Amino acid sequence: MKTTTAKSLRVSKKEGVRKPILAFLKSLLTDAVFDAILIPMQVPAGDSYAWVLVKDPSLLDQANPLAPIMPVQGAKALKSLTRKGEGNLKIAAVMRPCEVRASVELAKLNQIHLESITLMSVDCPGVLPVADYFENPGESEKRFNAMLSENRWGNGSMKSVCQICEQFSILPSSDFHFGLMTGSESSVVLISSSPKGQRVLKDRSLDGSVSLSDWENGIESIRQERKKERTKRFREVQSMVEGFDGLLKTFARCIGCHNCQSACPICYCRHCYFGSEASKLDSDFILKKAEQRGGLSFPLDRRMFHVGRMSHMSLSCVACGLCSDACPVSIPVADVFSFVADQTQRTFDYKAGEKREEPLPIRQYRLEEIKGVEEWVKDAEGVES
Amino acid sequence: MKEPFHPKIVSFLCKWCTYSGADLAGTSRMQYPPSILPIRVMCSSRVNPVFVIKSYLSGSDGVLIGGCHPGDCHYQSGNYHTRRRIAILKKVFDSIGLETERVRLSWISASEGSKFARISEEFTGKIESMGENPTKKKVFL
Amino acid sequence: MDYLLRVEKSAEHGLIDFLKFLLENDRIGGVFTLRKTGADGAFDYGLIHDTALLEDAIPLHPFMPVNAAQDLSHFASMKKPIAVVIRPCELRAFIELVKRSQGSMDHFLMISYTCGGVFPFDVAVSGEPEKELPDYWESVARGQIFPKTRETCRACEHFVPMNADVTVSLIGETVNEVCIFCIHTEKAMHLAEGFESKRIEAELESPAIETLRRERQEEKKKLFENTVIRVNGLDGMIDMFGKCIGCHGCSRVCPICHCILCDFESHLFDYEPSMIEDELYRKGGVRLPTDTVLYHIGRLNHMSFSCVGCGMCTEVCPAGIPVAAIFMRTGEETAQLFDYLPGRDVEEEVPVTVYKEEELSTIGED
Repeated sequence: MKTTTAKSLRVSKKEGVRKPILAFLKSLLTDAVFDAILIPMQVPAGDSYAWVLVKDPSLLDQANPLAPIMPVQGAKALKSLTRKGEGNLKIAAVMRPCEVRASVELAKLNQIHLESITLMSVDCPGVLPVADYFENPGESEKRFNAMLSENRWGNGSMKSVCQICEQFSILPSSDFHFGLMTGSESSVVLISSSPKGQRVLKDRSLDGSVSLSDWENGIESIRQERKKERTKRFREVQSMVEGFDGLLKTFARCIGCHNCQSACPICYCRHCYFGSEASKLDSDFILKKAEQRGGLSFPLDRRMFHVGRMSHMSLSCVACGLCSDACPVSIPVADVFSFVADQTQRTFDYKAGEKREEPLPIRQYRLEEIKGVEEWVKDAEGVES
Repeated sequence: MKEPFHPKIVSFLCKWCTYSGADLAGTSRMQYPPSILPIRVMCSSRVNPVFVIKSYLSGSDGVLIGGCHPGDCHYQSGNYHTRRRIAILKKVFDSIGLETERVRLSWISASEGSKFARISEEFTGKIESMGENPTKKKVFL
Repeated sequence: MDYLLRVEKSAEHGLIDFLKFLLENDRIGGVFTLRKTGADGAFDYGLIHDTALLEDAIPLHPFMPVNAAQDLSHFASMKKPIAVVIRPCELRAFIELVKRSQGSMDHFLMISYTCGGVFPFDVAVSGEPEKELPDYWESVARGQIFPKTRETCRACEHFVPMNADVTVSLIGETVNEVCIFCIHTEKAMHLAEGFESKRIEAELESPAIETLRRERQEEKKKLFENTVIRVNGLDGMIDMFGKCIGCHGCSRVCPICHCILCDFESHLFDYEPSMIEDELYRKGGVRLPTDTVLYHIGRLNHMSFSCVGCGMCTEVCPAGIPVAAIFMRTGEETAQLFDYLPGRDVEEEVPVTVYKEEELSTIGED
């Protein structure tokens, strides 16, 4: 049984939400609730953010739980820490909901060990595309913070996948959540939703008389708007990518650098099939293919790479949009992948990273399921179903 | 009061020459500084330059690579390759403005216990004068 | 044995005619060249077998979607050679791969050209490259640097191909009117036999090439000086690579980085959590994923002496780090240690695979 406790942090309009959250996190370090906190931190040059595991509370001054960009997916940072097993420290990871979800997926794939990690999610207004941010970090920073303090959620300058994200708030898989008030209230609600999360609120002297309904209503109304937008966008993506020609056209510029894959938190394989010795064709075969078709595009198998990746990881895709950020030729990879992921996950009534206890769909089967596939085969053979 | 600076020098020592040289220095009761942290390798050419860079970036105040004199390599040519690799490494360090002096390659044979002691002394002194490795305090590496 | 052939057509048409001639007369097994793919100005490298598809070829356009050396390393033995049209830096990169047993020159008729540089992706892919082309060819004709080419192209002095079988002369030529081939090898001479053209008495090297070389050297000096200022010392490295997202795209598009599994992606750099905890106790904070700066210094150390300055790494960097300029500069210094020039000669061995007994006297002597 899940026990949920909620308390609230007072926020002054002028200060914004960042400072009170950091002060709260600092108190968790100094009171030894946690040994370390994993959180995005501004890099010394001030032109980007990086994940830092922080033990020294004074370092938290440069941290930002609501960084305007996501240059590295938080699940990757967590993977780099716990891929080989459980550590000895109690660690809190302060992440965006899609990062929490990717972490949960990687935990299911045995690439992350979550036993001593407390996943703390933050209501996420979205992040800016890194290319836009890097053009002028200082200006982007200001713009983002203004949007945050003025409660302008669902802003058009966020990444396209963020604009249609429905899972931007508390998740069944997070241990603890920072709820940002979307209305006029000036407070942050703190919600603990697991025994690990309970530890965080224990003995904190905070305002306990908090009613969650205002916050919940605010979140819900944003979610409804996103839902509408999502249906519309997916229709657009579908018409763009549908059919073989659509696929070719969408990925026509692809140079085969595989940046999308290496930025992807889910693509954890150390050595992808695409790029491996096994994927290399022999020259006679290449020549024969070129002869049959008149010509052959290089690097080879660029389209197959994308379709292969879709079928391999879309069940776990959390639509974080890192692939689009990493693409040097601005292909809307994330739009396509999140659309495909929506379809594949729907097939199994699965939402990547939402629930920890839900097993990965490809790891299991039921005797009676997914009728559609068989019927489709019958149709193709001309037998009436 | 500020703690006095005791450098740590990760030292990759060839089993056949320098490591034996270090042994000889020990058995002959020669004094050399405790800064040397020896790691025995089968040949100086076993030292992947990445080991050196990793040591440097992990806060080792100096990195010493010790091998047989040119022409004396137990595997005939290992130390010649080491020499090229370390030359490249130092050049890379130099070109990006890192302190090349924190990396040192020395030829010390099994019979040169006193040379081992002298070079340990010299290198430690050099590192002491340079001060702590700045990477020790860098979070964003 | 160099001699020049002249065709009274634009350089690109003359070259396509030559490729057609080779293909129609069954002298080659195919043509590997840059081409339009028909979709919204997209382009790729294509292996063309059907002469009709040569219509889409744009062999001399200043685009470089990938460093073609990577593609050429797919080919092993073949009955007939493939005619390949690539840039001098791609050819140099391929020579470096051949030295590392990642390909062989025998399979190809190497056609290259005096190169005016290529457009960065923001012009070639996101911009309107067609609009830039007239000015580009104008600069090429005058032997001037075209400002909208890649940073490393503007600083490249090796724009006259080394080791090509055929060079198409572009620098200093009015490319809309004339196509001049320089035949360098016997292989090329035999294959070109019967191709309709006029042999002329002249040399490939020209005053325009001289001017451009001087300009480029000047530009290189400036670029390197600027790079030193930006990447100097530990703090400079941290500032420069602070925004690195660790995608390793730079090594994946690098023609020299051919290792199937890079050390930095291997299990060697997966740490036991206790190792990271140790570092955490020492520093109070640890950047994750680890080893960002190490990766770049490691790569500088492993391949910089073979860097041909093609600029692909900068193009694919999602964080906009000028990787190529940094590698080109350090690469020149590491190569000079051994009087090495990447891609100059197949026989010249990769510096780290050989040694001399008497050299580098300042390293290791006490």
